[in-house]
Amino acid sequence: MILKVENLHKIYKNGMHALKGINFEVKKGEFLVVIGLSGSGKSTLLRCINRLIEPTAGSVEFLGKDITHVTGDELRKVKAQIGMVFQHFNLIHRHSVLKNVISGKLGQLKTLNSIFGKFSDEIYEEAFRSLEIVGIKEKAKERADSLSGGQQQRVAIARSLMQSPKLLLADEPVASLDPATSNSVMQFFEKVNKEFGTTVICNLHFLSLVRRYATRVIALKSGEIIYEGNPTDIDEKWFKTIYGDEAEEVEIR
Amino acid sequence: MINNAELNESPIDIIKQNKRIEEKVNFIKAIFLDIFFVFYSILVVQRAIYYKFILNLRDIPFSWGSILLVFVISVVISVSWTFTRTTISCKLFGVAKDNKATKWTVEIFGWFLFNITFIAGWIITKLSLVDLFSAEGIQGAERLFGALFTPEFGIFDDALFAMIETIYIALLATLISIPITLFISFFTARNLMKGNKITFAIYYILRLILNFVRSIEPLIWAIIFSVWVGIGPFAGMIALLVHTIASNAKLYSEAIEGIEQGPVEAITATGANKVQVVWYAVVPQIVLPFLSFTIYRWDINVRMATIIGLVGGVGIGTMLMQYQGLARWHEVGLIVLMIALVVWIMDYISAKIREAIY
Repeated sequence: MILKVENLHKIYKNGMHALKGINFEVKKGEFLVVIGLSGSGKSTLLRCINRLIEPTAGSVEFLGKDITHVTGDELRKVKAQIGMVFQHFNLIHRHSVLKNVISGKLGQLKTLNSIFGKFSDEIYEEAFRSLEIVGIKEKAKERADSLSGGQQQRVAIARSLMQSPKLLLADEPVASLDPATSNSVMQFFEKVNKEFGTTVICNLHFLSLVRRYATRVIALKSGEIIYEGNPTDIDEKWFKTIYGDEAEEVEIR
Repeated sequence: MINNAELNESPIDIIKQNKRIEEKVNFIKAIFLDIFFVFYSILVVQRAIYYKFILNLRDIPFSWGSILLVFVISVVISVSWTFTRTTISCKLFGVAKDNKATKWTVEIFGWFLFNITFIAGWIITKLSLVDLFSAEGIQGAERLFGALFTPEFGIFDDALFAMIETIYIALLATLISIPITLFISFFTARNLMKGNKITFAIYYILRLILNFVRSIEPLIWAIIFSVWVGIGPFAGMIALLVHTIASNAKLYSEAIEGIEQGPVEAITATGANKVQVVWYAVVPQIVLPFLSFTIYRWDINVRMATIIGLVGGVGIGTMLMQYQGLARWHEVGLIVLMIALVVWIMDYISAKIREAIY
């Protein structure tokens, strides 16, 4: 068991009850996909797992340890073991691709060394290896904002690989990419999952991608889990329940 | 979460009730605005147009009693007027009747307000085409312009030295301001300080102080500091420094408030500490705006340093003041020419640098 979420609640300051008692477990090596409408609580859930957002109640157990209330150095150590990839890539535009990738290592570096940009040769090697995994080693010296969307997301994946993550969270990683690029970016998540055995939890919108990549699916609707199971079992009826009666499935290739 | 009392009422009723309350509030606002409009119109027509222009009085009779009388009259007029719901304020707050009377009142009274304001402005500034185009006046101007365009180069060395002094004063004020402003700006950025009550109090008090300091012109600061540290370049520099810090801290902290949160989130998620997050996710986003503001400020400071010189002891401004007092217009011509040239060059250079770094 790598992750165990129990009775997780999140109520925002404005009174929005975003998560209403979420329970689920994730085994090592799984590719878990979370689906649901915008505003159903998917992003909040991911951010509660790595404590970018503080949950209101409930607990998150990571590698058998309750991390819901850890603080300071301990919390940073937990964060350093959980990689995260975002919808809008969130790279530092003005930095080079290489420096962006190295910034994934910050949790394990001394403050002064990181500020003066003193990185050991091993770190540089590791950064190049990460870039090689996502297939854009040749772009290392370029500015991050000169890359295309798909390439930027691959840099973001390389950045999270620097953490040698036990768990990789991906918050709608392909929602701002075109269908063809989406698929190729998803293939890198699959590669990380299969080759390194990294557990992946990913928010997705397109069911065709869900069926192709997920080993298990959780569906959220207004902050509650309404479906948990095999991606191939999501039929027309479930689809309507999750996305509402008016929704129709569109195929992307 | 949901109040039970609210559940008993239907949402439509609640919306209607809210709308009624809002309309009442807006109507009260409209009354106050109408009182202001009417009070203003009567005062302007009576004092500026009637007393000053038509009666051509040198000293306008003033007593609080008469003002109070005008105020009472305007309150009576405007309140009864507002209740017809055809006034300009009713229209502005959206509580006016939608008919022809409203349309005409708004149009006519609007034009009336605009025109009396313009006419009053004309009278107060003593705008006079006769003075502008009098033969005597034009002759004087010709003499002055002639002198300005034949500058006396005899004082070139002195003027050059004074000019350099001015530029350096501006440069030093700008340079010293950078670290201080940087330090302050993090404490006056709302997004970094809104977290808890103590930091928010610091934020609020600092902003208040900066607003106060900024609202005092550098010229006034120069007068204050020339008493404090004695007339001279130092007083001028420190006056510029104080104003630069106050102005740039606002711009800097607005740049900090405007950063994208995404990179901050991403770097936080790697397990980085606060210092690393600021250095890797905040600083790269604010370096360019900071540089740009600072360079632009140097440009402004050179111009301000000239003005500060007018109150004494500093560089080219003081020199200008001296020769102007002696009515030696050829020398003034040279100084003005040099100031114009330097300001133009500074403007050009700072624009080029700002373009290049983006």
